Amino acid sequence: MFKVRYVIKKIGFLFITLFSVLTFNFFLFRILPGDPLRLIARAGNLSSDSIARLNELFGLNQPKWMQYLIYLKNLATGQFGTSITFRRPVIEILQERLLNTAILLTLATIIVVAIGVGAGAIAATRRGSRLDNVFVVTSMVCWSLPTFWAGLILIILLGVSLSFFPIAGISTPGMIYFSSWDRIMDFARHLVLPTITLIIVDMAQFFMITRSALVDVLTTDYIHTAKAKGLSKNRILWKHAFPNALLPIVTATAVYVSLLIGGAIQVETVFSFPGMGKLMYDAVLRRDYPILEASFFIFAVFTILANFISDVIYMIIDPRVKNV
Amino acid sequence: MFSNSKLLFDKLLVLCLIFTIVICGCSQGAQSQTIDKETLRIGWTSEPDTLNPLTTISTEALQVLGLVYEPLLAYGTNLETIYKLAESYTYSDDGLVVTYKLRSGVKWHDGEPFTSEDVVSTYNLIKDTGIGQYYQYMEFLEDVSGPDDLTVVMTFSEPQAFNMAQAVLILPKHIWGEMTAEEIEMFSNDAPIGTGAFTFSEWRQGSTVTLKRFDDYYGEPAGPGQIIFVLYGNEDVMAQALKGNEIDIITEVSPLVWEGLQNTENIKAVSLPSFSFHHIGINVCGDETSLGNPFLKDKAVRQALSYALDREQLVNIALAGHGSPGASIIPAGMMEWQYIPDEQMDADLDKANELLDEAGYMDTNEDGIREKNGVPLVFRIMAIESTTVDVRAVQLFRDSAKKAGIKLELSTVDENTLAGVVYNVDAPDWDLFVWGWDSDYPDPGYLLGVPLTSQIGNNNDVFYSNPEYDALYSQQSTEVDRAKRKIVTDEMQKIFYEDAPYLVMWYQDKLQAYRTDTWTGWEETPGGIIYNVTYENYKNVQPIQ
Repeated sequence: MFKVRYVIKKIGFLFITLFSVLTFNFFLFRILPGDPLRLIARAGNLSSDSIARLNELFGLNQPKWMQYLIYLKNLATGQFGTSITFRRPVIEILQERLLNTAILLTLATIIVVAIGVGAGAIAATRRGSRLDNVFVVTSMVCWSLPTFWAGLILIILLGVSLSFFPIAGISTPGMIYFSSWDRIMDFARHLVLPTITLIIVDMAQFFMITRSALVDVLTTDYIHTAKAKGLSKNRILWKHAFPNALLPIVTATAVYVSLLIGGAIQVETVFSFPGMGKLMYDAVLRRDYPILEASFFIFAVFTILANFISDVIYMIIDPRVKNV
Repeated sequence: MFSNSKLLFDKLLVLCLIFTIVICGCSQGAQSQTIDKETLRIGWTSEPDTLNPLTTISTEALQVLGLVYEPLLAYGTNLETIYKLAESYTYSDDGLVVTYKLRSGVKWHDGEPFTSEDVVSTYNLIKDTGIGQYYQYMEFLEDVSGPDDLTVVMTFSEPQAFNMAQAVLILPKHIWGEMTAEEIEMFSNDAPIGTGAFTFSEWRQGSTVTLKRFDDYYGEPAGPGQIIFVLYGNEDVMAQALKGNEIDIITEVSPLVWEGLQNTENIKAVSLPSFSFHHIGINVCGDETSLGNPFLKDKAVRQALSYALDREQLVNIALAGHGSPGASIIPAGMMEWQYIPDEQMDADLDKANELLDEAGYMDTNEDGIREKNGVPLVFRIMAIESTTVDVRAVQLFRDSAKKAGIKLELSTVDENTLAGVVYNVDAPDWDLFVWGWDSDYPDPGYLLGVPLTSQIGNNNDVFYSNPEYDALYSQQSTEVDRAKRKIVTDEMQKIFYEDAPYLVMWYQDKLQAYRTDTWTGWEETPGGIIYNVTYENYKNVQPIQ
């Protein structure tokens, strides 16, 4: 009963947060100096008729508050409008990019969390030993590497010198596919280097969080008691220590996933990966409001959902969370 | 301390993962056997905005569209005029009527027959809606008609120096004929149907654009059976891809990347003259609402700035030598159209100081900066942060200007912000900026037309207004005789150069590269082998077996 109220309250906050984020996003981009048509006019030598017509079609000549209301109405009815740059429905443009980013995101998150948490557990149980020190130093070094640099080094080592993996895009240009399996394998091979890059630079967060959380737990009295009771080391680690270290890991995962859906822009640029990051970066430069608004709407929803889910998981695994 | 069985299991898991990845990679090393040798692979770092020829502004889109669609006439590999949909044309005695005889038996990619109605429909559509980059050439077009299926007659009120028939892509009437202006603006043209040597196959957004050879083409069958344009996120990786035989040719790269391609096996790096320049624009807006520094309206100050600029130094340092010092707004690539001033206002600090002394700008308080009526010569200059060559150039200019007693304050912004500030017609609040222009065609008309009074609010980024210049422009645009036209264009360039609202810094070279072991037949055309006004190179190359 109490937990249901907790959930409903959380959902209420969720909608308020979403609404504020959407409003903020709308004004954020319109405040930027410049506009979508000025550069188009310069490059394409547009007639004044054409400019007037475009202003009309994209609602750019309306007062800001009017544009805001139209924006809210469109969002509510699920219309994301037409891109000013691409002249096609925003949904079409987002679909494929979102899919690519989602695949990279899922793959990277699973492996990053698995490796980070696994290594963190190993290091925590052997804290102070040489292995622990090696792990800590390695992960610190990896974390400090600039993402684009790590990507370029991987390209040179594994993509050019050794030619193990392709260095750009999501498909090999000119390749003949004899079956869908060929196509899937080609895509998979193109995912390897971007994923490894993300693993290298992002794994450290989970490693450090797991390690420090576990170290905290492993030095508590009740663990000493469990040891004194004669329970096996594995049972102590996995049944008693680990669940208490889970909370920060869950939070870290939620945060990581929300950041990554924004598109790992550096990885996308280095590997020419057609994801959300590059799309949004270009859209900001061009002031393509429909794309920006739609993308940020998706991020907002996704981030809020990720946080909501982690709140719910907290509620399930942490008996201390009662009605708030 | 703790037992290792569970931890050992974790380690083994990680090892397995790595092992799988490595095996996965190694097993695909022999991919080249499944690459189609008849596919021409081209690398670029930016992709088309849309495939609608009337709404696109991107160079990449035009590269694709110029292969799918065709104009009546086009440019060959030496920029000579060649015949496409027209097989001949004649001018009337007064130069006002042009009659085109069309090729017979031409088919659209969807099988429909091509006739004069398609030409008439295309020109009228553009003229009536005013949409797109071709509209600027239609000011004097009175009428377009098709007396029979294979003849088109265009009537002008003034003779035309630039023949737009070399530019306007012909669209099928059965698709575009009934569209309204609003429909065209929103039309994404996902499956372009043209008459060109290549048909459109697919566009995977953010990834590749694919074209296929058109088997029913009226002309010589193209060399490539398929063309794929591949998008790269950055040019370093694109250069690597070229070296790794992932692509056959690249559209354009910056100097440092290009130098990395020199002396590489099986790769030829070429440097060609371009139709572009980079310039420093000076706010010469005459309105009292202008917030630009009023000292810049004094020609002596502008000319002094020009003398203070060492263009050779800029080319050597900012461009790493890959360009030539600039003067007139007609670039070196346009060859005989370029006016070369007798006296170059360039790299002469003594002259700069002399001009400023004579005009009464003196450094009375010994702080290194000249003043007049107590106001110092301090100007704001903006550059686009992602155009690193421009930023570097301004840093060098700032140092030279200091030696003439002028202080420059640099700020870097993104291009959109720059456009917003510069093109503010109501109250332009800026002094100097660094930008550039490219000409779509090797004809001087477009670039000469930028600083017209009528272009204020449109292309005219410095608010220059000179009635004498405007009159000469109208004269040259209707002068068909090349020699007579050159006299007028030279005069225009001279006037503009001496007024110095632009300080043209350089004409950059077009730097490209291609593999020598996959395709043969690339001709080095001024302006570029590809990514240029000529599309013949795409068609003429043959695969090396």
